[in-house]
Amino acid sequence: MASIKDRSHWRRLVEECFRREAGAEAPISDPAQDLIETGVLDSMGWVSFLRALESASGLSELGARLTERTPSLESIFQVFSEADIPSAGAKFPEARHAATRAYVILRSSCAVVGSRTIPSNEIDRAFGMPEGKLRLRAGIESLAYATESENELTLGVRAAQQALHAAACGAQELDWIIATSETYSNYPSLSAQLHSQLLARETCGALDVGGACLGLLNGLAVAQGFIASGQARTIAVVTSDVHSRIFKPGRVAGEFGGLFGDGASAFLLRAKNDSTPQHAYALGEFFFGCAGQYAGAIRVSNATDGTLDVHFDGEALSRAAITRMEKVILDVELRSGLLRSSAQGLATHQPNPRLVTLLAKQLGLASDKFPSVARIFGNLGSSTCGVALDAILQSARSLYARRSGPIFLASLGPGLLFGGGWLIPA
Amino acid sequence: MTKLLITEITRMGPAFCVIGLQREKDRIRSVRPVTATANSWMHFPYRRGDVLECDLAPFSGSKPHVEDRVSTRGFEKESAVPEPEVVTYLRKAEIASSLEDLFGCVLHENKTGSGLFAKPPEAKRSVCGTVTQNLRLELCANELRATLALPSGEVLRDLPVVDRDWRDFIEAALAIGRGTNRLARLERFLNSQFQSKVLSCPHHFIRLGLTRPYRDLCWLMLDTLIPLPRHDWLEEF
Repeated sequence: MASIKDRSHWRRLVEECFRREAGAEAPISDPAQDLIETGVLDSMGWVSFLRALESASGLSELGARLTERTPSLESIFQVFSEADIPSAGAKFPEARHAATRAYVILRSSCAVVGSRTIPSNEIDRAFGMPEGKLRLRAGIESLAYATESENELTLGVRAAQQALHAAACGAQELDWIIATSETYSNYPSLSAQLHSQLLARETCGALDVGGACLGLLNGLAVAQGFIASGQARTIAVVTSDVHSRIFKPGRVAGEFGGLFGDGASAFLLRAKNDSTPQHAYALGEFFFGCAGQYAGAIRVSNATDGTLDVHFDGEALSRAAITRMEKVILDVELRSGLLRSSAQGLATHQPNPRLVTLLAKQLGLASDKFPSVARIFGNLGSSTCGVALDAILQSARSLYARRSGPIFLASLGPGLLFGGGWLIPA
Repeated sequence: MTKLLITEITRMGPAFCVIGLQREKDRIRSVRPVTATANSWMHFPYRRGDVLECDLAPFSGSKPHVEDRVSTRGFEKESAVPEPEVVTYLRKAEIASSLEDLFGCVLHENKTGSGLFAKPPEAKRSVCGTVTQNLRLELCANELRATLALPSGEVLRDLPVVDRDWRDFIEAALAIGRGTNRLARLERFLNSQFQSKVLSCPHHFIRLGLTRPYRDLCWLMLDTLIPLPRHDWLEEF
């Protein structure tokens, strides 16, 4: 924990948040100016500005610390100078980059999808929907479905083995296997089964994390914590989701069930050492939250008659997804000091291809910054982000001559859970 | 002549907004008396639960403030009803248990910071009651804010608390004459006794409102939190 003494590290952050609230053209005036009394911001704008700053800085008690102080920029800088920021890094943003860069390297990755490719017209028919509905309404062209011999475990094992192989890392080197799946509910859990199948050593930990579509980011953040704290050196983070056996015709409506496919991804993380390969990426920071105002948009539970009770307000969920994803990506930009336009790609949740196109438009980005996952394979749950991240990493590795850019991560889960983060070339 | 049961007295800046309940045959609905020239009152010497006699002229208030009525003469207090009874009537007026039902429209998230807003043409009304699963008050840089969970499980954050009595109570708690560590003592109260006094109260109830359009948006706020604070609570912290 280090005190933040240098206000220059925070000025950009404060000014950016201030302008987002007060308007792009708003002048940054005398820091001692009472922003409410002089009408620069009203009380709601002042609190909104502070909340944005809390989110961007990680100083969650900024608002509380400003009570009984003048509502001014000077007061904010004063609080920053008094505060100990609860993060591994010190000064923002450059030093945080340096701090995280020192710890965790994403050494290799792999993605696999179900071996059966089903055109969306067939899915329409199976769910009793008009032919073309999924393609026209959601932009889905095909879905990847698991074959009879495939399941969460086989897909996860395949992805993990290939990731290990790509890094020339033996399973006995793993200190932890962290697994996430929104479809696997058996015991032994997925991480335990992966542990056995990969033949990891007995003292390698196995941990399952939740979060549904946010699961990959949860897993990466947990792994980063283990490595940064010195408790582990090598960790495999594995996602695996097989929706096609759960969201079946007759069990759920096609407008919901028809969106999902099957897939898995695996990432090998290591503490940085001298042998870090040339094109590796380092984990930046992660941040998370829960926007409970959207909790009603999607709820899935087991009904007593054995069916699935799915509450799916597609319109509300789309609205929530776009709004919150945009907010998360803007926060990634703010926290990292990296421009989204400089990103190699964005590995995000992809509820459906139409929403990805809309999100790209909202953010002023080309659609090809978002790998086509949902369009070809469907929404893969926690593996959507993983398959997208793997695609971006593969494309970065192929750009030998060119300098690769950062990768933005953003995802959502029911609740509405949200999380963001970034990777930077190591 | 109209009889109005006063249920809301809110304060933003120096002026007060007032809302009352009016009985219309079998229906009870919210009515907001305004003056011919302003939406608020600089002086309003009445309390919640007071039944006031007044004359209200129909007024086509712009959406979503469809409850507006012009008061054509002064108020006269006729009687008063106790707080639990006020809540009984509030439960018969506009009430909702989910976000979308509150104002009959979609509520949008502020992308740049905090708060929720409605678009004026979409909202069907500007005030609505609800019960809460949980509620927390906090001071954020001198501003009183509420976070609460609706029965639907949806969570609303950072609602400005404009309830006059609660704002007066917070100001009284922070008055210089109350000695040292006032802020810490108040925070302790809000984090502990508040739960038992407010959330355990059998007639706990809240009303949410929408601000007048500001830059074409109406922002959500906590108009009323019942039970109202009691002055003797100040002696407990």
